[in-house]
Amino acid sequence: MASDFDQQAPELSVSRRAFLKGAGGLGFGLVASGAGSPILSFFAREANAQPGDIAGQWLASTCQGCTSWCPVQVQVVDGRAVKIRGNPHSKANHGNICPRPHLALQQLYDPDRIKVPMKRTNPRKGRDEDPGFVPISWDEALGIIADKMMELRANEETHKFVLFRGRYSYLRDVIYSAMPKVFGSPNGISHSAICAEAEKFGAFFTEGYWDYRDYDLEHTRYVLCWGADPVSSNRQVPHAMNIWGQVGDQATISVVDPRLSATAAKAHEWLPVIPGEDAALAVAMAHVILTAGLWSREFVGDFVDGENLFQAGAEVPEESFGEVHTYGLVRWWNIELKDRTPEWAAERCGIPAEQIRRVAIGFGRAAPAAISWVSPGASMQARGGYAAMAAHALNGLVGSTDSMGGVVQKTKVPAEKPPSYEDYQDELAKKLSKKPKMDQRGTLTFPALNKGKSGGGVVTNNAADAILDEDPYEIKVAIAYWANFAFSCSDSDRWERALTKLPFLAHITVNASETTHYADVVLPAAQQLFEKWSFLKSKQNLHGYASLTQRLVEPIWDVRQDETEVPWLLAEKLAERGFDNMQRYFKEAYADPETGAHPTNSEEFTLTALKMFTRPCWDSGHKDYGKYGDRLAGWQDFVDKGVWNSKRYEYRSHWGKFKTVTGKFEFYSETLKEALGKHAEKHSVTIDEVLAATNYTASGEAAFVPHFEPARRWGDEKEFPLVFFEHRSRLNREGRSANCTWYQAHKNADPGDENWDDVLKMNPVDATRLGLNDREMVRVVSQTGEMTVRLKLWEGVRPGTVAKCYGQGHWAYGRVAALDFKRRMPRGGNNNVILPAEYERLSGSTARHGGCARVKVVRA
Amino acid sequence: MTAKRYGMVIDLHRCVGCAACDIACKSENNVPYEFHWSNHILETTGTFPNVRYRYIPTLCNHCENAPCVHNCPTTAMYKSADGLTLHDADKCIGCRLCQLACPYGVIYFNDQAPFSQFDNDNAPAIPECTSTGQEVALRTGVPIPYYNPARATTYPGVRAQGIVEKCTFCDHRLAQGELPWCVESCPTEARIFGDLNDPESAPRQALAKHAPRVLQKEKGTKPRVFYIRDF
Repeated sequence: MASDFDQQAPELSVSRRAFLKGAGGLGFGLVASGAGSPILSFFAREANAQPGDIAGQWLASTCQGCTSWCPVQVQVVDGRAVKIRGNPHSKANHGNICPRPHLALQQLYDPDRIKVPMKRTNPRKGRDEDPGFVPISWDEALGIIADKMMELRANEETHKFVLFRGRYSYLRDVIYSAMPKVFGSPNGISHSAICAEAEKFGAFFTEGYWDYRDYDLEHTRYVLCWGADPVSSNRQVPHAMNIWGQVGDQATISVVDPRLSATAAKAHEWLPVIPGEDAALAVAMAHVILTAGLWSREFVGDFVDGENLFQAGAEVPEESFGEVHTYGLVRWWNIELKDRTPEWAAERCGIPAEQIRRVAIGFGRAAPAAISWVSPGASMQARGGYAAMAAHALNGLVGSTDSMGGVVQKTKVPAEKPPSYEDYQDELAKKLSKKPKMDQRGTLTFPALNKGKSGGGVVTNNAADAILDEDPYEIKVAIAYWANFAFSCSDSDRWERALTKLPFLAHITVNASETTHYADVVLPAAQQLFEKWSFLKSKQNLHGYASLTQRLVEPIWDVRQDETEVPWLLAEKLAERGFDNMQRYFKEAYADPETGAHPTNSEEFTLTALKMFTRPCWDSGHKDYGKYGDRLAGWQDFVDKGVWNSKRYEYRSHWGKFKTVTGKFEFYSETLKEALGKHAEKHSVTIDEVLAATNYTASGEAAFVPHFEPARRWGDEKEFPLVFFEHRSRLNREGRSANCTWYQAHKNADPGDENWDDVLKMNPVDATRLGLNDREMVRVVSQTGEMTVRLKLWEGVRPGTVAKCYGQGHWAYGRVAALDFKRRMPRGGNNNVILPAEYERLSGSTARHGGCARVKVVRA
Repeated sequence: MTAKRYGMVIDLHRCVGCAACDIACKSENNVPYEFHWSNHILETTGTFPNVRYRYIPTLCNHCENAPCVHNCPTTAMYKSADGLTLHDADKCIGCRLCQLACPYGVIYFNDQAPFSQFDNDNAPAIPECTSTGQEVALRTGVPIPYYNPARATTYPGVRAQGIVEKCTFCDHRLAQGELPWCVESCPTEARIFGDLNDPESAPRQALAKHAPRVLQKEKGTKPRVFYIRDF
């Protein structure tokens, strides 16, 4: 009988103190009043309401709260978005969502949204200047921007135009590529390098794959997370959350993170590494795997005579080992690994040798069903390129790369490219769009080796310095969309100065933000999940997918879709001013795949582009239809279902044909050797000089193997005794959700954090030493800047380090995110104020992790 | 057919502590942001590096022996035929004795008009350019823009100033044969809901498989929310 449960059920032991804290107390300060007071008739029980009338419709879209990009469904009742759930048609998140999509409802209906275009009336720019924004029409706003752009054409300096892109959909090519190029500028500058390029560096220079990996959690027996926090953030979050209980049952979970992250709290092993010393740990694990004989015979190969010659300190003759699908194992051992014992690593990374050995052996024994999961935390560090290689190389050692239960690449999600715009570029546009891009990519100190090409990647954060220094040239006109670099880039003060200097900035955005504060014209954007037609490509759970976003509620404000409508409308204005190339490109080159009709307005253009780009997913007449996955029954079926799923990933589809120079999984990277060689040649220097110019310490052959590099930190240890590091929030919608009351009211869901606050987490040992108390306000001071926040003493952070979540400290995002919007007082602090503009230069990445800032913490 | 007796089992091993339940509940039940019908207890124990973090989801326990019901002078708090602890807003006089009696702190009192952040907000961040709570309410035609009308089929859609409110196990959804929204919204499938009188039900199966626990058993409240395994 059910009533027996009371006898069976002992008390769940939780301290009384914790319980009261969790329950939030009762707050009896206020006396009951107005009992039975009249309630608005609207709120009265709707006795006559029939559930059928209020069920509304569930319509598909995609959440872009993080980079998982989950297919979702929104319940729309009477034209309002009411609730959100996972899209059951998706094989990726299979109907699950994390907390983030729910918060999006509050973004859609945020009372602080910009409702009309606005223009600046105060010509002076600066944090303390009131921009004096006044409302204007779309016509006037676009006219002002077009006038500025036409000035550049008249002066034959169209390259001085830049398009800054933050987050995006896959309709991005219209505004990001075509618009600048047809206008005559090379400058589409994306946010990618403040995101995770250094992470891709690891997989590319070992297995020739410049992208995020996918993880076969369903079949794994070991998960080793390098700063990765998959039940909270980045990547495939809802799938990871859904399966984590099963993973915990069938696999060992080990998490490398100086903070007890959400995933570390659900792990078997926590390895609280000293920030920036991950590579020491990774090479020691490789050392253990080899000395213990746990490498994959099938993938890597074996000693010719069968005897394991990998013994600590001993060189191994290269000819003694025969490799199968890998390249350079013995060279890696001889150059780097032979002396990298757990005892050696323990001194550097702060993890006991015994634990290093235990985790490495556990990982090796579970292989090939083992995952070494590299995240930005372990790679977006000043010397993180080699750390990413080292941690990813573990997948090569044990043959888990591309294997069941291991780490895999992506499946193909077919999409069409935008139609060619070359015929619409006039001579000026052709000439000036070939100028070097404005962010100094490919210079000696910024190799930005995207896919191995010198200058192939963006150096986002350096664009501020490029503007300030007018190097390679002056920037005069900028449009930024879905971007807030004055907040999201480290040493954000440089951005505030750069935007002050910039003569003209137009900002396309949903909410006003720190970047908006420096804008001359502001265009209100449609919110991505509810108001915008677009599509995304991503992967989770071994399925790739294309997922639509759609306008499922009519916007209540005068907004336009950033990536398609704004370029169209701007093209109209440019045409009125005598430059009609862009308008002709949009009108002539785009045609509805079903009707053949050319678009006649911005909304038609949006849908036309979307249908063209996604055609292989839904149009049975396309050559790729059904080839890679779902066979959707036409466009309307795609809209109804919202998602196209790829076939499931095929294991070992890349073994023997990795896209590296050797075609093998490279422990000695000929691919990196070639890339560095070309970059050195371009600048007439040696590879050693390239390494020195990019702040690496290695020279010689070490440059071509995953190797240990000591952490690089800013600030003298005596003056700045603590190492600061940051982390992500499970409620962050990429730094855009702090104005939601639901974000603030649930912030303590991030382990160690507090509701309605933005605490600096410090181990009690350090607080005692410094004479600081729990919950007092402190100044956190680095060489770069300072912020004032509340101190939280917490055992889940490594002594000697302090941690704070990213996402708060907004002073211009809205009246919830700011403590006092009018006085530009932030709630909490923006980590980017104290983080220096540090880079992992080989990939062009912003090194926001690895403890690059030393700080002192003093009573405020 | 025997009466149902609804209950919930929360599998702490599956739970990852994400608070999706807490936020989804607000969305479903039009709960003011400072109230937490669905909530959690947090605990960090031990010292570095041997630290343990625990997240225990909480909600109304729908106690069989419910102190809030016993202490309500107007029978506003009552047990339904299927074992839910419900609140009749019309009978509530806002005396708050239920709040005092509940050992779990899951009952909330509307000391102010609900959702006044929309009603009272008429000063935009950027005059004439950004909107206000009042404008959003006006444009959407409802005082909370994401107002869920389904809630109002069994309970006031939004509870008035001067009365209490709490979790109802989404009785309005149960009436339609649907699961509570926190159960549907849990990405980890940690919340197992059903009829405890039915030996085949999912919660009964879970209780048979794992040793269940309840919160503050010594209070004798006989909670109908059980916990299995460890976070």
